[in-house]
Amino acid sequence: MKIVVSTGTKGGIGKSTFAILLAFKLNQESKKVVLCDCDVECPNDFLILNQRLKNPEYIYQEYPEIDKEKCIKCGLCSKICRENAIFWVKEKYPIFIYDLCTGCGACWIVCPNKAIKTKKEKVGESFVNTVSDNFWLITGRSKSGVSETGPIVREVKERAIKFAKEKQADYLIIDTAPGTHCNVIQALLNCDKVYEVTEPTPLGAHDLRLSLELVKKLNIPVEIVLNKSGVGNRREIENIAEKFNTKITVEIPYSEELVKAYCEKDLKRVVGLIKR
Amino acid sequence: MGITMRIVVASGKGGVGKSMLASSLALLFSKNKKVVACDCDVDAPNLGLWLGITEYDKKERVSTSEKAKIVDQKYLDDGILKVCRFNAIEKKGEKYTINPFLCEGCGACKILYPEAIELETVKNGEIRIKKTKYGFYLISGQLYPGETGSGKIVEELKKRAERYDHDVMVLDSAAGIGCPVIASIRGADYAILITEPTPSGFSDLKRILEIVKHFGIPYGIVINKWNINPRISERIEEWSGDLLLGKISYDKEIIDSIVNLKPVIFSNSKVIGEINKIYERAKSRAGLH
Repeated sequence: MKIVVSTGTKGGIGKSTFAILLAFKLNQESKKVVLCDCDVECPNDFLILNQRLKNPEYIYQEYPEIDKEKCIKCGLCSKICRENAIFWVKEKYPIFIYDLCTGCGACWIVCPNKAIKTKKEKVGESFVNTVSDNFWLITGRSKSGVSETGPIVREVKERAIKFAKEKQADYLIIDTAPGTHCNVIQALLNCDKVYEVTEPTPLGAHDLRLSLELVKKLNIPVEIVLNKSGVGNRREIENIAEKFNTKITVEIPYSEELVKAYCEKDLKRVVGLIKR
Repeated sequence: MGITMRIVVASGKGGVGKSMLASSLALLFSKNKKVVACDCDVDAPNLGLWLGITEYDKKERVSTSEKAKIVDQKYLDDGILKVCRFNAIEKKGEKYTINPFLCEGCGACKILYPEAIELETVKNGEIRIKKTKYGFYLISGQLYPGETGSGKIVEELKKRAERYDHDVMVLDSAAGIGCPVIASIRGADYAILITEPTPSGFSDLKRILEIVKHFGIPYGIVINKWNINPRISERIEEWSGDLLLGKISYDKEIIDSIVNLKPVIFSNSKVIGEINKIYERAKSRAGLH
């Protein structure tokens, strides 16, 4: 099984569109495909595929909780917390500010009296949908208000890999969030190939450089997908590609028909637009 | 300094026009207010490009995160593999290694293995400052690709922006609803939520709204590119009710404007009137006069 990723730093650049078009295309070539939406903050693949999310399974994370009977009000937990998520004043119990807490565990490890218990909280969900014969969609979704979404991506991806293996899929296509930080890094790690989606504008060029730098550090083979080809300045994108020793291997021309198909949740009818 | 106001532009979905709108609002506010613009999208900082800026006056490397480093293997045992909540610690053969891309620098491993681990500060990003030719300052930042700590860089940027004399701070948030976005929105006085009339645009608008409501921040809604799908646009309009600040048309001039690095409000685009209306409404809803 091959794991390929559709990513890009800029939002709205076409990551999901490409991931879905690729899934349909491979499926039409009689491949078994699992698409995994790892943009857990704003997952949209199910909407574009006109699916109602099915088969939910929760994702949990541990958070600290004070045991007032054991707490000696020493304040060590507050000092160790690098997120400033524990508020403590002398002779008082510490107060956890859950908005800032990442659940790293430093406080309950450091507590000399084992006064910090852990409680499991739901931080997200994953879903499994059958889109069509030999085409499945796994969706991850974070609970709103959860700040640290990298671990949720990791869990969803693990579930998707397991599922894809069970189905003996040929391809696992991972669709990432925009950006270059932890939620995207988790999606990229240990994959076989990255498709960097961009567009021929200064914004596309600027953000492509950042994304390519990340992929280079992670040492993953990369190819470029030029979305909205035909508008703007493609030369700039080609220059960047050359600098990073890669190529534009896929093009999706700017097309009003595609925008329409996207809004009508029927990208399948424009699969022919992809040029490889 | 008198009362200052923080206005944040956010969206959930990327590419729906946050930076375009934030840059336009900063320019419009600057006509009769002291403004500071703050680009909080430290993954993909593009507000500068929308203001026609490609060079900065000052760049400063910052460190808002640390990374754990193994300094002595002999003090380690398999217990360490379970400590890290971010799965950054692996065992390869007999050796333990820390994956720097996953380490969040929380220090949990060091508490249990103080002799084996050291925490090192890393320069994980930079702050960029530019006095724009329009008179106001732009504070921008960049989280270096592959580094962690985006939310903290955003906090740092906001602190930096606070130093410049201003009545209004216009903040341009990142996409999503996670850590850097929460850091951008926290402490804002008014939020402008921008969306586009697509199924995903609408869905992500509802997602970002949950965050804004969580913080109890008053907000208004803008529909960008409304005419690419009038049917969904109408649904969002109805759903928004009084909170709708306005709609912006899809106009190819906007693409030309970014290609030429010319702020939209100085172009010939038909959307200028629409943006002006949104500006006037946002100003009065936010309580600015």
